[in-house]
Amino acid sequence: MIDHIPQRSDLTQRYLYSHDIASPPIISKFFKLADVVMQPENEDDVLRILLYAKEKKIPLVARGSATSGYGGAVPYKGGIVVDFSRMDHFEVDEERKILIAEPGAVWWDIERKLNKLGLSLRVYPTSAPSSTVGGWIGQNGYGVGSLAFGSIAENVEKIRVANFEGIVETRDLRFYAGLHGTTGFVVKAWIKVKDYEDLNAYAFHVDVEEAIKIAYARKHYSALYLTRRYLEMKNMVSGNEIPEKDTLVIVTAEKLDGDEELGEEIWNDRFYPLRIRRAGPGVVAAEVLIDAEKLKAYLNSVEGFGAGTEVWFLKNSLCSVLSFMPVDERDGRSVFKYTFSLKALKEAKKLGGRVYSTGLYFSKESKSFYENFDELLRFKKSIDPENLLNPGKVFPSGSLPIIMGFLEVLS
Amino acid sequence: MRIDNELIKNEVFICAQCHYCRVCPAYSVIKWESTSPRGRVYLLKGILKGEIDAEITAVEDFYKCTTCGACEVVCQTSIPLIDLWERARAEFVEKGKAPLPVHKKLKDYAEKNGNPYGEKREERAKWAENFALSESAELLYFAGCTASYRMKELAVNSVEFLRKAKMDFGYAGVDELCCGSPFLRTGQREIAYEFFRKNYEIWDRMGVEKILTSCAGCYRTIKRDYKEIGKELGMDWDFEVIHISQLMWSLVKSGEVELEEFGEQVTYHDPCHLGRHMNVYDEPRKVLESMNARIVEMESNRENALCCGAGGGLKSQFKDLSMEIGKRRIEEALNTGARYLISCCPFCKLHLKQASGGRIEVVDLIEIVNKHAKV
Repeated sequence: MIDHIPQRSDLTQRYLYSHDIASPPIISKFFKLADVVMQPENEDDVLRILLYAKEKKIPLVARGSATSGYGGAVPYKGGIVVDFSRMDHFEVDEERKILIAEPGAVWWDIERKLNKLGLSLRVYPTSAPSSTVGGWIGQNGYGVGSLAFGSIAENVEKIRVANFEGIVETRDLRFYAGLHGTTGFVVKAWIKVKDYEDLNAYAFHVDVEEAIKIAYARKHYSALYLTRRYLEMKNMVSGNEIPEKDTLVIVTAEKLDGDEELGEEIWNDRFYPLRIRRAGPGVVAAEVLIDAEKLKAYLNSVEGFGAGTEVWFLKNSLCSVLSFMPVDERDGRSVFKYTFSLKALKEAKKLGGRVYSTGLYFSKESKSFYENFDELLRFKKSIDPENLLNPGKVFPSGSLPIIMGFLEVLS
Repeated sequence: MRIDNELIKNEVFICAQCHYCRVCPAYSVIKWESTSPRGRVYLLKGILKGEIDAEITAVEDFYKCTTCGACEVVCQTSIPLIDLWERARAEFVEKGKAPLPVHKKLKDYAEKNGNPYGEKREERAKWAENFALSESAELLYFAGCTASYRMKELAVNSVEFLRKAKMDFGYAGVDELCCGSPFLRTGQREIAYEFFRKNYEIWDRMGVEKILTSCAGCYRTIKRDYKEIGKELGMDWDFEVIHISQLMWSLVKSGEVELEEFGEQVTYHDPCHLGRHMNVYDEPRKVLESMNARIVEMESNRENALCCGAGGGLKSQFKDLSMEIGKRRIEEALNTGARYLISCCPFCKLHLKQASGGRIEVVDLIEIVNKHAKV
């Protein structure tokens, strides 16, 4: 039934497919390795894997490029990792301006193709050179263009999902987007795209209050704010000489009076926030969503920890705030630095903010994170009573949510 | 397995696991993490942390890499990945996990005959029989193993061109030995050091000051690796090393050589060892432009160029994978509509010609230039 599907179960492959970009100390030692990695080539393969897993009661974990750090793609209870890298086809309905993509399609491959057709993605992640359609929908992420167009889910016309009940095609993403594959695997997505337009990037050396005013004053495409500390770290590792001042970059079709050369330089580096890992080697990151009016207070608190921060301004005065602290993961004493993620979240929550995503590590936040959590839980139980679809993610189970809660209190 | 190399110990912890290195030509074909650059880095990190050992299949997959350096160009954290792959392979060899069987065979051949092709040492200079080349000169032409045994037309065209340009140069003949590139790439460093010593001794005896080569792999090795090996061994290394594309452009630019028009539509393949490894991108293109060739770039070019698929020991050990990568490069070339696929490396020419199946004319720049150089 599944023998024809590319799969490997040697120890090396199991090891390589059992992590994402985060390296949490201690707790990850208790995670299991994947038992096998399967690479479906089409929807039928996905359905066969689902059927097999249901029969054998084996956990299934969907995997795009594993470029997130929330543990969504980590098979911490073992089972089958379903790697979608072979399902990477996409096509474009030019007339309707709709992208039709398989889950393994990579955002930047898509954007390059769209540009040739005079079109462009409305939103894409800052990990676009490698991250996938399925992965970003699974996380319902924000990114480039989210100031104008919101999260990825707001730009999806419909999705086709495979789960234990078969295939569902729906325009109602509430039960799938941002749920890390716990309710089914996206096997195809119809995504709205826009006409290509020449955009310019302008830099402004302004404080955070002024940055908020400029970002939301007019209808701009994207706005990114980098703190002085962040730019110091980036300069240190890259040898660049970007002025070490708080800097706003506005990306827009309009003409503005900011520094265009600096704006372009920073904008061209938007996919490379992790360059600063060289300062550690390694970083511990904290990522939260917070209202713009609380941004200043939040930044003051995380800067107090010595973190550098990049802020993406989003629709409806929401901000996605990603802060980094260098850490040397080889140094056992650095283990306490990892509590920075939890300290920052605690500060954000005091200000009415919340974690950026739930996944594995922040499933304890799900009740407040998802407005319809109770409804989602009922849905999950109805379609996956054995809890085989990415267990431990989103829907809290086992001891990890308790441990994370305890660590947050201690931090 | 224990890893001792400091470069590996430091750099693997910097990797962000961002997977921008998915541009790897081998991973693009195979699609398994063990062949992706980030997977290989994660494996090394796991070995260092004592979480996993290098299984036979993992080592084999580690070698499914042309060391083309496409990963290094896109690396988010600027890890010197080409050096990392080579040092890791050397660790595998040192710890008895490698070399892989064919790579070992190449070394055995080279130990016996001074070339990895298993060809006789005394036949190395057969291509030069009609030239009566000098055995001493300040400028040495280094043909390399591939041009000496497999792509002789490159060596012949190079020498004819040098004569047209009235250059005074020498050639070591059968004393020329493999530069050691295949062994540095596959982790068998000892024999490469031996070739370094022997070549150095011959060049010193010949009074060589400047080394010219028409092979991108030899150029990379002699200019970059030999300099480091010399330093490591405490030997003076003050040879100037140039690739023939650089010489061609310098002669054309200065007007010392004039070229006839070559108004064909062409596309240029950047050899990894000349482009990404040594940053030589412009000179070959400028030579072609000076002849009024109409260059149509392939979808991936310059520092993002797709590898031909032959390097890093891939062609010898993993023929099918190597050929698949070569075919993908040929498709890119065909999409340009060019009549000629031009490169600057005998190994690229050999492999791309095989991969092309005759669908496009694959030539080396020196062949075009020599043919069109006015006497």
